[in-house]
Amino acid sequence: MDILNLLLQGFLVSVIPGNLLACTIGVIIGTLVGVLPGIDTVSAIALLLPFSYGMDSTAALIMFAGIYYGSKYGGSTTSILINVPGEAASVVTCLDGYPMAQKGRAGAALSVSAIGSFVAGTIGIVGLTLLAPPLAQAALAFGPPEYFAISLVGLIFLSKLTGTSTLKSALMAAVGVMLSTVGLDSLSGISRFSFGIDELDRGFELSILAMGMFGIGEILTTMTQINTATDIPLVKFKDLYPTREEWRRSIVPMFRGGGVGFLVGLLPGPAATISSYLSYALEKKCSKNPDEFGCGAIEGVAGPESANNSAISATMIPLLSLGLPFCGATAILLSGFMIHGITPGPGLITEQPALFWGLIASMYIGNVLLLIINLPLIGVFVQLLKTPLHILMPMVAALTLTGAYSINNSIFDLIWVVIFGILGFLLRRTGFEPSPLLIGLVLGSGLERGLTQGLIICNGSIWAMITRPISATILSLGVIALFYNIVRWFTKINCAEEKVNC
Amino acid sequence: MAEKIITFFFLLGSSSYLFFAQQFAFGTLNSPKSGFLPTLSGILALLLSLILLYNQLRSNKKVVLDKVNWTKFIFIIIGLLFYVSFLNIIGYFAATFIFLFYLFKVADTEGWLMPLLVSFSSSAIFYLIFANYLSIPLP
Repeated sequence: MDILNLLLQGFLVSVIPGNLLACTIGVIIGTLVGVLPGIDTVSAIALLLPFSYGMDSTAALIMFAGIYYGSKYGGSTTSILINVPGEAASVVTCLDGYPMAQKGRAGAALSVSAIGSFVAGTIGIVGLTLLAPPLAQAALAFGPPEYFAISLVGLIFLSKLTGTSTLKSALMAAVGVMLSTVGLDSLSGISRFSFGIDELDRGFELSILAMGMFGIGEILTTMTQINTATDIPLVKFKDLYPTREEWRRSIVPMFRGGGVGFLVGLLPGPAATISSYLSYALEKKCSKNPDEFGCGAIEGVAGPESANNSAISATMIPLLSLGLPFCGATAILLSGFMIHGITPGPGLITEQPALFWGLIASMYIGNVLLLIINLPLIGVFVQLLKTPLHILMPMVAALTLTGAYSINNSIFDLIWVVIFGILGFLLRRTGFEPSPLLIGLVLGSGLERGLTQGLIICNGSIWAMITRPISATILSLGVIALFYNIVRWFTKINCAEEKVNC
Repeated sequence: MAEKIITFFFLLGSSSYLFFAQQFAFGTLNSPKSGFLPTLSGILALLLSLILLYNQLRSNKKVVLDKVNWTKFIFIIIGLLFYVSFLNIIGYFAATFIFLFYLFKVADTEGWLMPLLVSFSSSAIFYLIFANYLSIPLP
């Protein structure tokens, strides 16, 4: 009952015209980001950080959240229509979405995807509403050892879940932690790894790294690709109605995907992407016609698209309750919070209830707005796909550099954006995922604070630190994940050697 | 090959980082100092890059990479470096206008008039948004 009252207060905050406008702008930009291949959620939020300086902090955060969950709605459009995923989380939608489009059922696939996103997104937000406050309450009892345990386990899970090689992800996370130590040490005030350069005393800013790796890196990738033009099918509003049979087959996968997405969203890693794959596998397992998958099974669109939206809401739980981002997009959202002087975590709900509940209420509103925007305006978004990349990308590059400069009015930052951009481009080409590096940078400072303060509190006893009930529980999960990874790695090596011997 | 070069780059980077981390006091478990985490994370990154490089050298798996227009890549980097170098010298509007026009041509945008007009209008709009709306002092 108490939560309902607080949520009602949140709705009163979120329907203030300025906040409602911010939510609308956010979800529209999010949809555009999802629709247009070449711009992802992280770089879009990083790019728009400077635009929020003049905004009220609640409105700014509502807008950023809108971009975040809105991008997952738009991501399916290109997957279904041209077999090019606008978002990593929509890769799996290509498998059955595009074959449906080839059969002339693009409209049905798009509407099932939008409705599924709405249903599962709402499931996720309900979960966020119910789980975030008690978790934040529990987190008030967390000390440095617990935060160290969460950060460490977060990095371990992240290495396992990025979808690329575990070793590569672990290395990226370690490099991220290394970068987090550059600048003034918050505990001793000593300048580390700055080599006498004053600007390096500030350390590496998350937004600068994100703009470089995800913004410039993506621009370099898109502009240097040798690709061919694709025909985009025309989708009319009247084509959006699924048949009765399509409806019947979609409803259960929507709810199942919502559940899968929510559970995966609580884990560190690119939850939206992983949940979409898991949901697809689950739907294939549960289907009476598994042979249809890959040839235009509507469950293959309904499940994954629902899962990735539900996961998005769930990823907000650790961010808002613990102040810990478990994926690239929430890391950059954290940066948005910080820019506006707000620290997410256990204190947020008690210190800034209007902001917290306003943000959650705005997600309910944003979800409805997305459904309203996405279905009738699908034709408009399809037309946007015709925007030539050779026009769009240079403008995004100029905007990214301007945004990066405006954060600290520093040419030095621009140099780093270019360096990180080149590095991001090369990393992607060689199968290294930049996201763990970003998370490593964010979690690194918390990890160091938790480790050093925890050791001081426990008189240097690591055993005392890791046997505290909460730490022990969290670390046990990490050890299991780590052990599983090591066993799998050795198994792979043995299998490879056996094959060579054969 | 490219994968191995990147891994080797990280191996060198983490070795250098670990070397410089020795300049800071490590402290003890009772009282960890500013070199504590840098040393641990440096060792971890060094070990991981060594294992990864060893794996890559042992593996016969050929990684198929997407084709890239390297000429365009070089030209884009030149454009980015120009922008960073000349922004403070010739001012935001001129630098952005030249940078945009240059990138349009690198991206094979046809004609001269349209790229010129789009570069000019985009630079003007960006300037108005950032300098007037956001009150950011642009060079």
